[in-house]
Amino acid sequence: MSLPARVVTLVVAFLAVIAGGIFVAFEFIGAQPSVENYTPLAKAGQVNVTMMTTPETTVTNKPDWVSYFIKNPNTGAFDHTTYFAVPANTRVNVTILGYDGCTPLRNPIWGRVAGTLGGVENVSFFNGKTTSPAAPLTTFDSWANCSVQHTFAIPGLGINVPVASPTTVAENNALCGTGPCAANDADGALAPHSVVTFSFMTPKTPGTYRWQCFVPCGGGYVDGNGGPMATPGYMMGQMEVQS
Amino acid sequence: MAADATTTQNAGHRQGNRDGLWLLILWMVLSVIGCLLVALVLGPHLPPGAQSSSAASQQTDITVLATIATPVVVGVLLYFGWALAFWRQQPGDETDAAPIHGNTRVQVTWIIGTAAIVLSLAVYGTIELISPAGAGAGEGPQPIWKPAGTVTTSVTSWAPNTKNILQVQVIGQQWAWTFRYPQFGGFETTQLVLPVGQPVQFNVTSLDVTHGFWAYTLGVKADANPGVNNVAYTTPEHAGQFQVRCAELCGIWHGSMYDTGDVLSVASFLTWTQTAKTQLADVTKLLPPYALTYDPTTIPAGKINVALGLTSAGGGYYNPADPEQP
Repeated sequence: MSLPARVVTLVVAFLAVIAGGIFVAFEFIGAQPSVENYTPLAKAGQVNVTMMTTPETTVTNKPDWVSYFIKNPNTGAFDHTTYFAVPANTRVNVTILGYDGCTPLRNPIWGRVAGTLGGVENVSFFNGKTTSPAAPLTTFDSWANCSVQHTFAIPGLGINVPVASPTTVAENNALCGTGPCAANDADGALAPHSVVTFSFMTPKTPGTYRWQCFVPCGGGYVDGNGGPMATPGYMMGQMEVQS
Repeated sequence: MAADATTTQNAGHRQGNRDGLWLLILWMVLSVIGCLLVALVLGPHLPPGAQSSSAASQQTDITVLATIATPVVVGVLLYFGWALAFWRQQPGDETDAAPIHGNTRVQVTWIIGTAAIVLSLAVYGTIELISPAGAGAGEGPQPIWKPAGTVTTSVTSWAPNTKNILQVQVIGQQWAWTFRYPQFGGFETTQLVLPVGQPVQFNVTSLDVTHGFWAYTLGVKADANPGVNNVAYTTPEHAGQFQVRCAELCGIWHGSMYDTGDVLSVASFLTWTQTAKTQLADVTKLLPPYALTYDPTTIPAGKINVALGLTSAGGGYYNPADPEQP
């Protein structure tokens, strides 16, 4: 092989390795969940966002991980993602369908509702047959009562919302076995769950805010904070505030 | 021939002596100017500032070290520049330089000089670590160096300008800081607020992994270890905001684990404590009794939690084989 041919071969091989590394970095390591864009749906300074928590995530290769799902504003289906976009300076009305069972908080301070309009969340329960009237709540005692399954917290905005859990032993032992749990609903085999609603105002300027759950729900991992607690698309995500 | 060589060597010595004299004079002049600039102009702007006693102490130390280092830096750069400018090899000159032999006087001077500088800095550093109450660093559960004139006479009450030092507990958790004020009813909050001019004792701990409490512009840095109380002291000296960051890689949101704290006047601080105490009363009664450390694996679980096997907030209450182990 001539010298120019060797040089060309070497350069091509080098560039191929670099390109492969870049591909791996962007395609796998840097992969992010899809973003549910609620911004176009905002009307009169408000937008409605619907989420769901599930004890299992059967649509992924981690079926035994707990997870959040977010409703696709276009299709109405619950997508496996924790990334969503909302407009700036807008009232966001959030509904969380809480299908998971209760878990004690590591720090009871996260049992207090903070950062929402009025400092409250409204909670109703579906026990498998009937739905209770919505009641405003400000504080949850997850140690004394089986009252919290997850939290929705945006530390950068001072927002913390405990997601109420089904309240009885029987209900906690009859949780839905698929994720998203809407499949159960469609079958008519309605699983017990809570319906949590609250509102908050987005900042006036655009930005990206991380949110997370403060319940140690990564069972089997150190302090319960690994696995789904540390993986985008499960128990943590980002809220993009758009101009 | 020998006479020519000797003449050339003597000329070289004379030129070398002149260069050495010029270098010495220039080095002394530039060093004095550099030291004054570093100490008086740059020093007041060096990190971490002077918002607290420990920060001011650290800024002074960094200024002193930078000032001491200035003549060394000036000497190296000056010699380098002089060599480039005046000691360049002439075109066609391929002769070697004069051989260098050991010089006992230079070697002894060098060894004594550098040893004196290093030992002086060691003494200075030790004193500076001790005298300002640990220099804002975590001293562990039983601190040796405390702010002069302060004691912990009560962990349930506090008044300004007394010997009783203000207690602020810093609790790290993945991924947020919370702060507890035992002398004001034990409320816990996500806001860190301090009074100006009052010594503060930070009791730093963690509920899960190791975090690093780093109030940068306060000059306070203490690791937050689970099951350990790490004590650090400071006295805020100027009102204003300061940043709190995590200095130990603690997981995926480590980089987002920051807060903005406030140093307020004593009156404003007392007002804030009363407001926070009232606003947080409903959750304060749910908190475990104030302690220097907490063990979330032991909680007073209620009936339903017990029935469900949830007697801990340790995160390990699923079947160990489900899900997969880390």
